[in-house]
Parts: sequence; structure tokens; C-alpha cells
Amino acid sequence: MRSLFLWTLYGIILRSLLHLFVGIRYRNITALKKVKQFVLVANHNSHLDTVALMAVMPLNKIAKVHPIAAGDYFGDTKRKSRLTKFFVNALLIRRSSASKEDEAGRNPIRLMHETLKRGHSIILFPEGSRGEPEKMQSFKKGIGEVLKLLPDVPCLPVFLSGMGRALPKGEKLLIPYDCYVIFGEPIYALDGTAEEITLRIEEAVLKLKDQVPS
Amino acid sequence: MLSLEKFHENEELFLVVGLIFGILIFATTLFFIWGLLQPLNKGLAELKERTNSWWIMAIIFVSATVLHPVISFIAFALLSFAALRELISISKNIRPGDRNVLIWCYLSIPVQYFLAYQGWYSAFLAFIPVFMFLWIPFMLAVKGDTHDITRSMSVLPTQLMFCVFGISHLAYLLSLPEIEGFEPGGKGLLLFLVFITEMNDVFQFTFGKLFGRHKIIPKISPNKTWEGFIGGVVTTTIVGYSLSFLTPLTGLQAMGVSFIVACFGFVGDVLVSAAKRDMGLKDTGDAIPGHGGILDRVDSLAATAPVFFHLVYNIAYNG
Repeated sequence: MRSLFLWTLYGIILRSLLHLFVGIRYRNITALKKVKQFVLVANHNSHLDTVALMAVMPLNKIAKVHPIAAGDYFGDTKRKSRLTKFFVNALLIRRSSASKEDEAGRNPIRLMHETLKRGHSIILFPEGSRGEPEKMQSFKKGIGEVLKLLPDVPCLPVFLSGMGRALPKGEKLLIPYDCYVIFGEPIYALDGTAEEITLRIEEAVLKLKDQVPS
Repeated sequence: MLSLEKFHENEELFLVVGLIFGILIFATTLFFIWGLLQPLNKGLAELKERTNSWWIMAIIFVSATVLHPVISFIAFALLSFAALRELISISKNIRPGDRNVLIWCYLSIPVQYFLAYQGWYSAFLAFIPVFMFLWIPFMLAVKGDTHDITRSMSVLPTQLMFCVFGISHLAYLLSLPEIEGFEPGGKGLLLFLVFITEMNDVFQFTFGKLFGRHKIIPKISPNKTWEGFIGGVVTTTIVGYSLSFLTPLTGLQAMGVSFIVACFGFVGDVLVSAAKRDMGLKDTGDAIPGHGGILDRVDSLAATAPVFFHLVYNIAYNG
């Protein structure tokens, strides 16, 4: 039921709107089919990013894919947090204090770790915030820590381009703009410290930028 | 579906649609056999990709033209929309702060096509070059950020002229009044224009590939040669003459009009190429496999549509 709801909302309604109105194009979508479970890592420019990624999740997977959202932004009220969980299937974490524990006594890394251990997948924007439109900031090392804990789960790098123009931070008006979503090949079993893994993932995402037609 | 029945009765249109698909079948077969003989030819793969895209474009265009007038207008409006979006997206001369004004640009599309659908001739002609020409810069000025504002003031109306005003003339052809004794009507003119414009592109490309030696404008487009240009223009003029039954023009008039259309097809192509050079791009996008972006395909059409329209209007409809 939940799969069908999310898939209709994202896979059909929002995806057609994105295609027709915003002009979004996907590249190498087949990479998504090569993996059962994944940690999808992408650069972050806009609220559209999550929508664009959820829009291509297949029906049998979508209910098990959780975009990681900032609890301090999307969960500052009970109602907002419930809506985010219901419509975005999101997992809310505290951004600022990666080491501190939230009221349930869990820290963000452990939350993500538990979700992945249940066989679910996550969508993570390691830049931490949307930042300036179309400018990539360096990745926070949380991604490295998560991947280090679960070496069997592949990381799927994705580069997003144009969303920061279509709907940048702080704007309410969505305008048509040619956007690209470029999937990279899954990356398995990274070794090294959390910082090293983070750096390698960042490079993998940045490398996909070359495929944006320009 | 009434118009579809009418279409069957209209032999001239039927003939040309048959001709379009005949050419496509011929090209597909030719490239298929060629591929069997030379399986490793790289240029051929591109030609095949191009031909496949031609099939899709031809099917969309023919069905949008023959099914129902409302569908045709919506299809052309979407074409304008996609072309404008592409041009705005690659344009580095638009400031990020102009996004609120861009909405006005996009909103002008439904208005312009509504005017075309209603056949309100002078409103259709005045809306973008007069009203939007003033309104867009005014909206920019109201925003208050004057840094580089002259650039945005010039760029946005120009893009509207090219992608919306230009292409909407294709749709207005369908709203032209009927002329007694001229059966194909607006649909005939539309088919004629699109057919000769695209044939002109194909012939200029082909002649350039086969005989191209002397470059016309190497700084803008190294692939354009005098041989390609002249070959294209001559062929298009002949094709235009033999298809003159689709227009209310006499054979000689159709020849002259086709000649001018062929030249302006080249003009549109060069304009977009020059803009691409400025932005450091090879193609305007990758929406159409083998061709590049939407603008790479409709660049010539955006220039030939208004030119053809006003030539025909003044010769045949203004009497």
C-alpha cells in the first residue's frame, strides 16, 4: 500500500511534472537496477533534489528508500515531522551534533546504520545543506562513517545539476530549467578511514559533473 | 476526428505525408544495407541515430498536424516552451536574480498561442515585439538590481522573439482564412514550410559532407561550406517548386519563396551556432539523439517560419 502510494506520487505524478515542466533528464538510470540496497550519495542544491531522486525509485523499492532529512529543519514541529515522514518517507536526523544523541538516545550515524541493517536504503546529501545554488561544498564525514560500518552496502554516487536554478534555497517559485540527474556506477567495499572514504565518494560524485552537457 | 476524414479526402496532403515517410523508409533501408556492408563505420552510427530521431519527429509532427487543430496549437506551444527553456538554461547572460522575470517570459507562450488560435492577426503580431518588449525590461527594472541589467534587458526579449514569436508563426498558418479553390489550406502551408526547411537542413548537411571544400564562416561553424549552402539552396528551391500545389502560390512564386526560405534556414542555423560559440557549447542540449538539443533542430525553423509566413501572407492573403 505504502509502496503504491509513494510510487504513484513520485514515479507517476511528480515525475511527469518534472519531465514536462522543469525539463529534467536522467542519465545511466540502469545503475540503480544493479544494486538491491544502496547508500545514494548526491550533491545538494534544492528541495527538488529529493523529489527527482525519489521519482525514479522502482515500485518494489520505493517504500524502503529513506531520504535523510535534517530534523532541525523538517522536524522542528510535530506536524512537520509527521508530514515529512509520510510524504517523503524520510529519516530525520539532527544535523549539528553528529556525536550527540537525540531524545531517543540515538545518534545520526547509529540511526542510519540501523536503517541499513534492516535492509533499507538511504539517500544522503553529505554537503549537509543546500548552500549556494549550483556550488558544491565539501562532504561531511558522516557518510564515510556509515559506509565504514557496512562495507557490503554499495554506495551509489549521483550528480545533480540545474535544480539550484529551478528552485534555489530561499525561493518559493519553481521555474522551468533544464536539469540533469547523472547516476554513477555503484562503489563497493571501500577501505580506509572515514575521512578517506568520504573524500573518495566526494571525488566520485564530482567526476560525474563532466557528463553534464555543456 | 472530423478533420482526419477531411484529411483523407485531401489528396495533396496525403501525398506529401506519404512522401515524408517514403524518404524515411528509403533512408533507413539505405543505412541498414550500408551497415551490413561496413559494420564498423562510425559516421554511419550517427546517421542511423539521426534517422531514428527523424522518425520520431516526423510521427509527432504529422500526427500533431492532422489530428485536431487544438492538438497542433498545444504541440507548437510545447515546442516553443522547450526551446525557450533550453535557450534560457544555456544562457550565461541571465542573472540568477532574473528568475522572477523569467516567469513572465514563460507566461507569454500560452498568450501568444491563444492569439494565434483565435486568429487575431494584429494582436498576434504586436504582443511580443511591442508589449513583452516593454514589459520584460520594465519588470527587470522594478526589481531594482541594475548591475548588468542592460544585458538581461536585451537578452530576454530576443530569446522570446526567437523561440516564441518565431515558432508561433507555424501555428498561425493553421488559422489563416480559407481561400476558395485552395484545398490544402493552412495544413498544406505548414507541411510545405516544415518539409522544405528540414530538407534544406538535410541537403546543406549532405552536400557539405560530400563536396564541402570552401568554408563560409569558419569562426562560427567549421562544418558550413559554400558547396553545402549552394547545394542545399538549389535543391530546396527545386523541391519547393515541385510542391507548390501545397500553397496558394504560382510555381514561380513558390520557387522564389523557397529560395528565400532556404537562405533564412541558413541564417537561423548560424545565429544559434554563434550563440553556442559564445557559451562554449557544441550542442544546445541532448534532447534529440544524434541531433543535439531541441534548438539545434528548430534553429532554422524559428527563422524560416516568420519569413515564410509574411511572404505568403503578403502574396496570397492580402488581396
